[in-house]
Amino acid sequence: MAARKLYFESVRVGEELSTLVKPTIDRVQLARYAGASGDFNPVHVDEAFARAQGMPSVYAPGMLVMGMLGQLLSDWSRGAQLRRYSVRFIKMVWPGDILTCKGRVSDRWGTEGRYFAEVDLWAENQKGELVMKGQAAVQMFYSLEDENRQRAGHGPVIVDVPRESIRTPAPAPSTAPEGEEEASSEVASSEDEPELRVASGGKKKR
Amino acid sequence: MLDKNAIGRASPPTLNEVEKGAIRRFAEAIGDFNPIYYDEEYARASGFPTIVAPPTFPASFHSAADLRELLGVGIKSLLHAEQGFEYERPIFAGDRILVSTRVAEVLERTGPTGARMDVAVIDDEGRDEDGNLIFRARRTLVVRAAKENA
Repeated sequence: MAARKLYFESVRVGEELSTLVKPTIDRVQLARYAGASGDFNPVHVDEAFARAQGMPSVYAPGMLVMGMLGQLLSDWSRGAQLRRYSVRFIKMVWPGDILTCKGRVSDRWGTEGRYFAEVDLWAENQKGELVMKGQAAVQMFYSLEDENRQRAGHGPVIVDVPRESIRTPAPAPSTAPEGEEEASSEVASSEDEPELRVASGGKKKR
Repeated sequence: MLDKNAIGRASPPTLNEVEKGAIRRFAEAIGDFNPIYYDEEYARASGFPTIVAPPTFPASFHSAADLRELLGVGIKSLLHAEQGFEYERPIFAGDRILVSTRVAEVLERTGPTGARMDVAVIDDEGRDEDGNLIFRARRTLVVRAAKENA
């Protein structure tokens, strides 16, 4: 039995992905990941080497953490096709760290029978510090009916869905009441740096 | 400062065969037990032709690239700052993927403490044997070159 699938019609901007708390990272996991990825950089597996480099211990490769955030993403986007996934590595991750992976739908749109959603993703350690943040875009069927039609060789269900976003809300109409102006100019300036302001549930760096 | 002439240097494509066991071990190492990575029947019932690879699986691919050679310097340390993937389609068990690597950019950035850092942007690309694109990956690395006489 395959799991329930994600369809566009049920995706909401602002919706949060179910939080994923990963088991404590240990040196065995770092060794496993080294073997599975083929990346045997000694800073991740050789304690003596890491200390000689001035590190307190070995540390987790960023790609392992990206893999964990990817797990959150694929758990949510079942049946959808991943189009883009990118991250920034922010803080080092050590054995003993417990990572919590979180995400939120930031955008959704549909055009010419193709439907997309974008999500903001981030991981925090047990101190609430942001260790990684990223973004992904997935493409999916509009609905079960759309999937069935396309699998039977018919054209897709076409619904034109203008882009909705928590980053760039639709500009206020010109008839907007006074007082809206300031708010919208703030939104415009924050566009340059799509930081995870909404996302930093934990402590922020000053 | 890294050599600007490194931009555009590329490695020849290297064949990677995607094995089921390799996918399972990779997913296990992440601690991701989604059955689409392990169970053939489940993957098919989910609409895939066979077992699927996790999104970051291309990190395990081999490329002929030697960064030292591509960048033209001895490397003291590399700090992975950013990573991105674009997928044309999912990667499946049984895929034969030709992976090539290219230096996309070499630049200097000023770090938060005012120190200058060398940054290299490296692009990887995976294609099937008919030349169809499967994925693109982009790594941004902070490079510390080894001192000549250190």
